[in-house]
Amino acid sequence: MKRFLTVLFIVISLVPSVFAQGRTETVFTQEIFAMDTYMSVKCYGKEAEEAAMAAVREIQRLDSLLSTGKETSEVSRVNSSGSAVLTGDMKELMELSLMAYEKTSGAFDATIFPLMELWGFSSKEFRVPGKEEIEETLKKTGSDKLSYDSESGKLVLGESQRLDFGGIAKGYTSMKLKEVFSSFDIDGAIVSLGGNVQTYGAKPDGSPWRCGIQDPFSSSGQSVIAAIEADNLAVITSGSYERFFTGEDGKTYHHIIDPSTGYPAESDLVSVTIVSKNGAEADALSTACFVMGKEKAVKLWQDSGREYEMILITKDGTLHITGGLKDSFQTNSKFEIIY
Amino acid sequence: MTTSGKKKADIILIAALLLAALLFLLFQLFSRQSGAVVKVSVGGEVVKELSLSRNQRYEIGGVNGGFNTLVIENGQAWIEDADCPDALCVHMGKISFEGQSIVCLPHQVVVTVEGSSSESSLDAVAK
Ligand SMILES: [Zn+2]
Repeated sequence: MKRFLTVLFIVISLVPSVFAQGRTETVFTQEIFAMDTYMSVKCYGKEAEEAAMAAVREIQRLDSLLSTGKETSEVSRVNSSGSAVLTGDMKELMELSLMAYEKTSGAFDATIFPLMELWGFSSKEFRVPGKEEIEETLKKTGSDKLSYDSESGKLVLGESQRLDFGGIAKGYTSMKLKEVFSSFDIDGAIVSLGGNVQTYGAKPDGSPWRCGIQDPFSSSGQSVIAAIEADNLAVITSGSYERFFTGEDGKTYHHIIDPSTGYPAESDLVSVTIVSKNGAEADALSTACFVMGKEKAVKLWQDSGREYEMILITKDGTLHITGGLKDSFQTNSKFEIIY
Repeated sequence: MTTSGKKKADIILIAALLLAALLFLLFQLFSRQSGAVVKVSVGGEVVKELSLSRNQRYEIGGVNGGFNTLVIENGQAWIEDADCPDALCVHMGKISFEGQSIVCLPHQVVVTVEGSSSESSLDAVAK
């Protein structure tokens, strides 16, 4: 009888676990087209719907503030007048951008918009500019040519300079979404802002969030080269495969412009992924590290106290992964761990 | 307890175990079959959900009056044709795993594979 009871107990305890698989956790997904890309917000928990809707409103608010394409945006107003007293998000973004500019020795620069325009990356009417044109445009770029006082928020742009927070805006938005989520009763959330991923809280089944890294060598862009576990982190990738065109000379030109030369960055990297608690920094660093190349990117990581993690993919297809990720990544490709 | 009583208890026990196993198997089978769905959304609104296991074609009407032709065949989904200016969606290849998606920015069309949950599935892809 004792044995019978034991088995009965096992059977009974099995039943709920079987049905638990079918139980649906409150999940709410919102999709939105903003900041010239596709974004999705997925929330789990009691107030999933409210949280996702609030996230969408926050995205729209920041989009209308930061869009260089809308004349009424805060950024456009600053650009047309050449000076302004910055407050709130604009002030925060300006300071984050200048910090990234300093930290990366100019590899990240929020004033390269005229170069993006020259190459046609903003209008999608691509063309290869002449050497003189590039030199002429380089005179308008460089955050060292603007003056900014963090005390008062007073910004004065240099001659014909134009500001564009595009290289940091999505990462900044994901940071702000964490704040939005924290004011709702939700268990977890995952956001993809045009491929910039941010996780928040816990997944309903208790397992870690799993984030794939796009394979830069896949022509369709539908395969992943690695996967990492990322809880409460931003995972942001920049790669030359994202946007590029073939010039009349038959050469391929990608969209990551080196602020020091005005040409697409010629680095040994094809993709850079930054994993960080700070989305804005991850966004700026992913672009900057691509421009800097592997050696300088690794040095920057070591010098900055290893406060974020990286996956650098070199042209030969090797993944260079920083030590902090070594227990949480998977790949079938050749890799090395950097310390 | 008599010998026959013990036997009877054993039979009930085995029957109960078998039933539990059967239940479990059925459930697994059921949840697998109800798996992969291809979700189509336009401008952020879900307009259609199609089974990935049924071969079919579906004409998606984009936000600017354009079209994207979705084809589902042998467990794979792709955009065969579209009249968007960049045709990037047509070049995005075939999708079949949960979390994979095809996006057409000009038409604000997103095609996503959902619900074929497996251990190795991803929650998102950084790109
Ligand atoms: Zn398209």
